[in-house]
Amino acid sequence: MDHLTILENKSIFIIREAYSRFRNIALLWSVGKDSTTLLWLCRKAFFGHIPFPVIHIDTTYKFPEMYRFRDEYAKKWGLDLIIGRNEAQVATGMGPTEGSKLDCCNELKTNALKETIARHGFKALLLGIRRDEHGIRAKERVFSPRDENFKWNYEDQPAELWDQFKSTTEEDNHFRIHPILHMTELDIWNYIKRENIPVTDLYFSKEGRRYRSIGCVPCCSPVESKASSLDEIIEELRTTNTSERAGRAQDKEDAYTMQKLRSLGYM
Amino acid sequence: MTSTGAEQKVFVIGIDGLPCTLMKEYVGRGLLPNISSIIESGFTLNQMDASIPDVSSTSWTSFMTGVNPGEHGIYGFMELREGSYKLSFPTFDDVKAPTVWEMLGNTVGAKTSSLYERRRGGINRAVRSIVLNIPQTFPARPLNGVLTAGFVCPDFKKGTYPDSAYSYLNSIGYLPDIDATKAVDKPEEFFNDAFFALEKRAQAFEHYLEDEEWGLFIGVITETDRIHHFFFDAATNPSHRYHDRFVSFYRKMDEAIGRLFERFMSITNGKGFFMTMSDHGFTPIRKEVYVNTWLRESGFLSLNARNEYYEQVERGSMAFAMDPARIYINIEGRYPSGSVKEIDRAKTAQEIKSRLESMTDVDGSPIIKKVYENGELYSGPAKGKGPDLVCVANDGYDLKGNLKKNEVFGVSLFRGMHTRHDAHCILPSNVKTPQRVHIEHLADLILDNFSGL
Repeated sequence: MDHLTILENKSIFIIREAYSRFRNIALLWSVGKDSTTLLWLCRKAFFGHIPFPVIHIDTTYKFPEMYRFRDEYAKKWGLDLIIGRNEAQVATGMGPTEGSKLDCCNELKTNALKETIARHGFKALLLGIRRDEHGIRAKERVFSPRDENFKWNYEDQPAELWDQFKSTTEEDNHFRIHPILHMTELDIWNYIKRENIPVTDLYFSKEGRRYRSIGCVPCCSPVESKASSLDEIIEELRTTNTSERAGRAQDKEDAYTMQKLRSLGYM
Repeated sequence: MTSTGAEQKVFVIGIDGLPCTLMKEYVGRGLLPNISSIIESGFTLNQMDASIPDVSSTSWTSFMTGVNPGEHGIYGFMELREGSYKLSFPTFDDVKAPTVWEMLGNTVGAKTSSLYERRRGGINRAVRSIVLNIPQTFPARPLNGVLTAGFVCPDFKKGTYPDSAYSYLNSIGYLPDIDATKAVDKPEEFFNDAFFALEKRAQAFEHYLEDEEWGLFIGVITETDRIHHFFFDAATNPSHRYHDRFVSFYRKMDEAIGRLFERFMSITNGKGFFMTMSDHGFTPIRKEVYVNTWLRESGFLSLNARNEYYEQVERGSMAFAMDPARIYINIEGRYPSGSVKEIDRAKTAQEIKSRLESMTDVDGSPIIKKVYENGELYSGPAKGKGPDLVCVANDGYDLKGNLKKNEVFGVSLFRGMHTRHDAHCILPSNVKTPQRVHIEHLADLILDNFSGL
């Protein structure tokens, strides 16, 4: 079997395993390349129709291309789409310039997701995170418990040897399940190419810049790149040594720094 | 000589924002018995000049590299990205000159500086260092030793090297920083946090002092600066509601310093080199002075309030200020709305300088002590990045780069401001120092202890 098929089989195994253990499960779809790949794998795992809801957390600050893409494919693929939005905060005008960027993320992303989980009583979520994205994610498990405050205790996790996944946890907790944890950024692009999975145009270079990771407009910066096709992206990733989330991690650090400086009267 | 020779050790305790005059007063009043007895045992308390501008990021970088901002490249907590008005926040990666521990640990890499060029041939290069909580050292880079970054440290793990140090510090509940916003609405909690952070710092210092191999140890206490910003008016006023808390923080710090000093001297048979120092002083605030509002009122700056921060600078503006009082001429070609031709730069700077120098408070008191030109303060490869002018104010007038104020003068929640002339250092009395010690001199004194290959 070739490399991509081995990865695909592993992901499909995890997705089916998760669905058989938790019927009250949903897929978290950010509309980015990773969660769209995960969505594709879920469709494959259940022969074209995903038997559980797909959640999109809408901060109202996403790229217009992302909203168009979401609505087009939700319809085309017959998704049971749940849009989670922290309406109370949106109404107060919460945003990255109102309050801090950290508050914005916390209200419009984390709390919106908390509300959505609580409203539907989901016991598990499928997420498209990958181990190579960030140092801390190297410690992630495929089946990863979270407590009621969304806290992840990475020092207290079950071992996952020989694909034995632990799926019981205390009341009020939920599981995060990571079917593409073992894929790298390059695997994802190779797989997108092989399967011809649609992704938004934001990933392709325009005027010398492209987005390597997408989220909310105010907090994403494009990287310098001439890669305007799948092949060129794959070639670029083979040779790059900057990190995928460089633009986004920097942004969070800057937001923290700004908040700290402000508290001491600077700025 | 080996790097771990028991006596060949240097131990520096940094105390953020501790003014020499306050130290002298507290010692005189018998509030700091341990520091008093250290001084009596053969040390001298010196008043010291900080860097200009006297902000922590710049001053600590001057301390750790032993060179001026024109060489190390850190002029403040904020910069503008090249060719734009977008804010950026310099990190340790932007420090262009090697630090003392990099020189001593042979991890200088491609960096260089005048100090390094002068000393590189004559110093031991196998010295292990423990560097705890110095501002402007995030993100931690590999070194021969241990480092955890001080202010600003947005990611504790990324701010600590090696990983085992992160695990240890995390396990004892060590805090990279406390939440200063509590000082306003929860002052009791704020003080409790400051005491807790101090205790954890002292615990970590003791641990590394005893249980690690090292030749150079620098440990910094930050909470003094935080307390001073919000409660400096309590320092010498016994009727102030928080005077006792203020003094008890100093007493607790004094105890910790006494304990650490004793341990250090017993490890080194009384022969180790010990110093304390601060990155700037503090004095009470009379008024805040908003330099950008002054520039606006004086016709040098116009802002478009629809934008954010420095992107507000409109075409036609001749200059703008960044915290605390760094003035940049809005040069054509350097900034998107640059409006001053290079050829007119010096003339514009002179004009602003002379107007600033004559600025007075409503009662006629002069605000500005001195306006420095770039060339008077800075030399080195990063000189061009520096401001055209930097103001140092008279005590009591806190210069600010805020862009949103409508009045030139104001008051806020802050009760203490930094001073350039009143930092302190306690040095062994037999050490030869210039008449007036400057923070850039200290690195050289540290290196003196590790001469020989």
